[in-house]
Parts: sequence; C-alpha cells; structure tokens
Amino acid sequence: MEAPPCRQLGELQPEQERSSSPVVGLSLCDSAPLLWRIQDLKAVRSSGLVGALLGALPRTPRQNIRLGRPLLLLPEEERLLRERHSAAALPARNQDAVGTELQQRYEEEEQRSYEEQSILALEDRRSALLRAMTSSSGSESGVGSDEALQGRLLALGQSFTFPRSALAVQLSTARAGLSHCQEARAFLQVDWPIREQDSPRREARYQVFRDLRGRGFFLTSAGKFGGDFLVYPGDPLRFHAHFIAVCLTLDESICMLDVLCVARLGSNVKKTVLLCSPAPDGPVHYTSLQWSGMV
Amino acid sequence: MADQNKTESANNFYNEILSPCELFAARSRSHKLPARGQKDFYPDDSEEQRQRLQQSLDEHWRLISEERVERLGNLVKGVWIPSERIVELQSPAGKFWQTMGFSAEGKQYLLPEEALYLMECGNLLVSHQDLPLSIQDGYEMFLSADAVSLQQYQVFGHLKRLGYVVHRFDPSSEPSSYARQLNLPPSRERGGRQLKRKRSPSPTPTCSKGESPAEKMEEDDKLPESHLPTSAEPPEPQSCSSGSAAEAGARTWWMTDVPDRQADKRPSPGSPSARSRWNFSAIPFPDLGSTGRPRSVAPPHPSLLPGGVTVGVCDVASWMRKVNLREVRMSRKEEERERRRRRRDVNKDREVQRCRNWAEYHELLARRQAAREGRPAHLWSGEVTPLHDPTQPISTAELLEKISVITSTNLLEGASRLKGSEEWRICFNVYQPDSVADFKKSNPGKPYTRMCVCSFDGPVPDLRAIKQLAFQSGDVLVVFAVVDHGDISFYTFKDFQLPRDVYP
Repeated sequence: MEAPPCRQLGELQPEQERSSSPVVGLSLCDSAPLLWRIQDLKAVRSSGLVGALLGALPRTPRQNIRLGRPLLLLPEEERLLRERHSAAALPARNQDAVGTELQQRYEEEEQRSYEEQSILALEDRRSALLRAMTSSSGSESGVGSDEALQGRLLALGQSFTFPRSALAVQLSTARAGLSHCQEARAFLQVDWPIREQDSPRREARYQVFRDLRGRGFFLTSAGKFGGDFLVYPGDPLRFHAHFIAVCLTLDESICMLDVLCVARLGSNVKKTVLLCSPAPDGPVHYTSLQWSGMV
Repeated sequence: MADQNKTESANNFYNEILSPCELFAARSRSHKLPARGQKDFYPDDSEEQRQRLQQSLDEHWRLISEERVERLGNLVKGVWIPSERIVELQSPAGKFWQTMGFSAEGKQYLLPEEALYLMECGNLLVSHQDLPLSIQDGYEMFLSADAVSLQQYQVFGHLKRLGYVVHRFDPSSEPSSYARQLNLPPSRERGGRQLKRKRSPSPTPTCSKGESPAEKMEEDDKLPESHLPTSAEPPEPQSCSSGSAAEAGARTWWMTDVPDRQADKRPSPGSPSARSRWNFSAIPFPDLGSTGRPRSVAPPHPSLLPGGVTVGVCDVASWMRKVNLREVRMSRKEEERERRRRRRDVNKDREVQRCRNWAEYHELLARRQAAREGRPAHLWSGEVTPLHDPTQPISTAELLEKISVITSTNLLEGASRLKGSEEWRICFNVYQPDSVADFKKSNPGKPYTRMCVCSFDGPVPDLRAIKQLAFQSGDVLVVFAVVDHGDISFYTFKDFQLPRDVYP
C-alpha cells in the first residue's frame, strides 16, 4: 500500500470538522495503538487521558519503575479519541520511497554533525586549557605567560583530532527525520481496523469510561486490582486512586461470592469499589461498596 | 520533508531531532532519576497544588522527551534482515554477547526481541536499507503477532531490565522424560563425556530446522550408552581374576546371564543383552544380634574390596556395645495372655462352664474361632460388607487410602495424554541474574522458571492448559505473566502436598 502523499495540515481542515483538541497521530504495532511523539503524548494528557508507558526510559534503561515511550492507549481511550475526531493513523515506514537520495542526505547530515562537533570539541578543550592555565598561574600575569598560553593553544589546535568514534549520534525514539512525513495524516475513520468485536461488556466499559472522564476523573487500567478501571480524582502523578470501577451491564447477574471478592480486595488496598452499569437511556448508575464490618 | 532550518533550531517544539550542538552537550547529562514526592489526597483547586502538578508534569515531560545519544564508538552496529527476521551484527558484539544472540556461519546474529531491547538500552544501532532504525521502527518491524508479540516483548523487556537472562523456549530441544530419567548424578560424569552433549551453534528458530532433530537423535544415541559404561565397571573384577577358574566358582554373588560367558571377555558396552546383577542371598552378612554373639567377624572376600586393600579380622566388641540387645519387654496384656496360655484349664473357663451341652460348647468354639479370624459373620453375610477384611494384611497408608473420600492427585497425572493447544504455550526460559558470570549460551542448564504470556482480557488458564504446560515444562515451574496495559503480574501454581502422618 502506498503511503499517502504529504499534505499541509491547512488543506485538510475544510474537509473535516474542526475539533478544539489537536489531532494526535497513532501508530499501530501488533494491532495495539501506540503514541510515539512528544507532542502527541502531551496533547493526549491535556485532554485527560493517561495511557500506559511501555518502553525503556532513555536516561536509565535498566529499571522498571519509570518507563518511557511509547504510550499505549486503552481501547476506551482510543475510541474516545476516534469519536472526537482527534486521532488519526500515521503511515507506516515508507519502504518504497527510501532510495539513495535519503541515504545520501543522511550521510551528509552525519558529516555535517561531525564537523560541527569537532569544532565544539576543540573549543571545549581550549577553554579547559585556558581555565587550567589561568588558575595555575594565579596572580602572576605578564607577557611571558601570555605567550606561553598562546603557544599552548596553537599546539592544541594543530594536534587536536576528533575521532569519528567520538561522534555523538542520536537513536531516535519516534520515527522522525528524513524518512518521516511529518504532516501526513490519514484520517481513517471509516476503515479503522476493528480489532475486537463489540460485546456488551466492552460497550458498558466504554460508556462508564466516557461518563467518568466527562466528570473530570482520570482513569487507568485496573487488571491487577480485579476491576476494570482505577479512578483518580486528578492527574495520577499527583493523586492516589480513590475507586476501583467494575463495569457490568444492567441485566448481567453476578454471584455473591464475586461481590464479596471484589469488596474484600478493595478494602485491602484502601479503595472504594464502584459497581458501574450504564442504563440504556443514558445515565450510568453507580453503586459503591464499603466494608463496614458487623454492626 | 524535514526542513533544514528546523534541524538547526534547538527549541523547536515539534521536532525531536537534536542539533549537533545538543548532541555534543548531551555528554554532560545527568543519569539520575528524580525522586517523586508525596502525593496529595484530594484536588482542592489551590494554587499550591496546581504548581506542584505543573512541576511534576514538567519533570515528567523532560524525562520522557529525552532522546538517546551515544558515542558512535560505543554502539554496536547491526543490519535488519526481514526475510529471516533477525539482526546481523556488523561490528563485534559487546558484553551482552555472553547471554544474548547466537552465531551461525561465522557471523553474529541477534533475535528481534533481543535487538529491540538493546536498541532501547542504547547499545545497538540497527540499520535497514542503509538508514538507521528508530525505536518506533523497531517496534513496528520486529514485533508482530506471529513472531514475538507486543505483550511478549513487554514481559521480555521487563525481565531483562531486572537482570534475568531470557531465552526463547524451544519445545523440541527439551530433553524427553526418558532422557530426564536417565539423568545421572554429576559425580559419575567426571570420567565420561556422555550427557554434556557437544552442541553446534544453537539452531535458530527459522533456519536449519533439520539440525535440531539430528542433534536430538545424537543425544538419544548417546544416552542409552551412558548408563551401560557405568554398569560395565563391576564386571571388571570378573575379568581381573579371569585366570583362576576355581575362584570363579566360589564367587556366586555376581552373576551374569550371558550364556557363553568367558571369564576374560568383557561384555561390550553396546550390547544390551549382558545383564549382570548381584545375588545378595549368596553374600554372608554377619548377624551381630544373634545369641551366638560373635566376638569377631571374618574379613570379606578380597574381590569385594577395592584393589590393594587387605583387611584382617574385625573386632566387633565396640559395635556390640552399641547394638541394642535388651530383651523386649512385653506389655501387660501380652504378659497376661502368656500366663493364661500356660495354665489354661478348659474346665476352669467360665464360658465353658456356662455351656450346658455339647452343642453349646461347639457353638462357643465356633464363635471363638470366628472372633479369632476377625470376621464377624453378621457383617460379612449381607450385601453391604465392610470396606476391608481385617484378616488380610494391609499397610496403614493403604488403609487410609481406602477410607479417604478425596483422593489426592498431582498436577502431572494424565498430562502426557493431553495434546498441545495453540492458545497456551510457553514463550521464554528465564535464568537467574546471579548466574550471568558463568552462563554459557551453549549449555544454559536448567532454567529458573518458564514464562507463559497472557493478558487479563483473555481467558483464565483452565486445568487442562495448566497440566499441559506443566508437562511440557518438566520439573521447571511455569509462571503466567499476565499483561495489563503496562502492568505485568506474575502468577504461578505450585504443587502442594497436605501433610500426612503415615508414610507408606
């Protein structure tokens, strides 16, 4: 499949309704929606969607406490973005258009970077030498020390080499740069790949998600707490979760043991369990469980 | 296309390419993670909270947007080969080679998940069509549902970042249960080379499928041989004293069933027909507990001793003191019974005195007989009989089994009959981090656990799946890594035995 041609964003605007939030570019990896670019992550966070970071953090890649890009979206988050027309699929890596031209440009860029970095490195060494010499000479400053300084600097300039192996290169996280068509956005609303069948459970989950998000809560996934969502009163960076939301359809029956299970779990982690069910006519009904013990 | 001007401006919000100036300045970046402070309880629209939130967010974006910058000399270069789905290294591998990658045809290769992990760590630069791949390219090109899926890669990365050594699980290269049964203790391997099979470069999952069955056959051929050379050692004394035919007759405790046995011919290791065994009934073991109380014990036959050792007569006086030769005291009941038996007079028996005629006396005798036999007639004559006949000998453990309501089973019961399923399969072998120093890729040894990757959206593994995976894994624990949008939880099932008071 050919990648769509690059178009400026201005051309596209008359074709679709203007949304107040910026449009975010999604990339599919193994049918999972991932966000790679920083501006997309910021845009999504500003509209109240948290997502989950999956990759290694560049600064400290060998730990699991703080992870880095990409950001994985929940299916509910993806659907919400899609319905607001604020997400679109980015084209995949352009295999066909990669010709010798791009490779040449890359090599030229690298050469230019090398030359600039050599200059910077030389400057760096010069200033270090200056600092060392002026600090060692102290108060004694005369023509003699100046000459020596100039001599040293000259010698440095002549003998200095910046080896190719010392060149600093960037390992890009997002596909940016020569092979990236920055402004191309393919609005695939109609033929967005439908990855999972819409079951009543999923529909219920989505309705609950949309309702809670509309009330200003931040939601993340809560599989390890035995529920559907963890509900935060504010940004998860600053607040703890207050609720564990368990989404059920109104006509679904759950056995008492399951209710006890989830209530016990909630009380163990000091969160309130919310049983959420969307009504067919709109509003979502919430029931909170609190373990109060024997009265 | 990326504008030339854009690459120059250092503060361009939309571009993530660093200028040469920024690249150079990245050398002096901090490598520490900022500590996160306490969280607030509830948003109260205060300025203080808003400021703290902004600070947290700024710090968050600063960390996340940092790009990987490395010296070209520190990077290992590789090339992605889409047809084989592996990365070929073009510069020598670094320290990671000890636990990752494989070599074939003189070149070094990395599996896609290993390459992606190294790219994320900033150790590897992979190119495709002469252009370097970004991490995003790596994710999209290396991970797919049919090779390594995104969820499996998440688990892989998580474990590697903790320091574990993670390899792909290959069911065909696991030793069969028969081979595992023949696993001799290490002390016997010192002389031999049998079980440490000489491995050619580890077969890749894609190429040379013909290698692994050939290697497996080679291993199986070696293993049946392995136990025979060790059992060939005892026949040596036989060949040692081959000259004396008279001695051959005296030593009856070592017998060989080979019909045309010649005393000086060693049974060849390859022939399974030579079955030699010990005949313990012919070896005289001294009885130190008998009333004869021997003071000394004669030395054993010299052929039973290691060569060059001569022993004299053994003085057993000190041992006799340690042997408990006290007379057994009978309990009171037993003493009474003994007394009664000695002076029993049938006429003095009160029950016999109560008999008025011979018929009653016969009845009494029959009753006593039945009682002695232990089978009260009224219990055994009906349709429903007792569970166990007391006259039949039975061990306590078996008796408990008979009366138990719930029979215990173990996880692997019936597992060999189960066929593998596509849905549940073991993905990785995991080895512990502290074994990295002497870890050998060609002989990794027994893994610490095996991982099966699933998600909370999918079904919970049923007993059938658990049994099948446990059987496939052998004696290594299987851990289920459940992936949930960024969080990974690990669950495992351990075999547990309820304590029993009785041992069979």
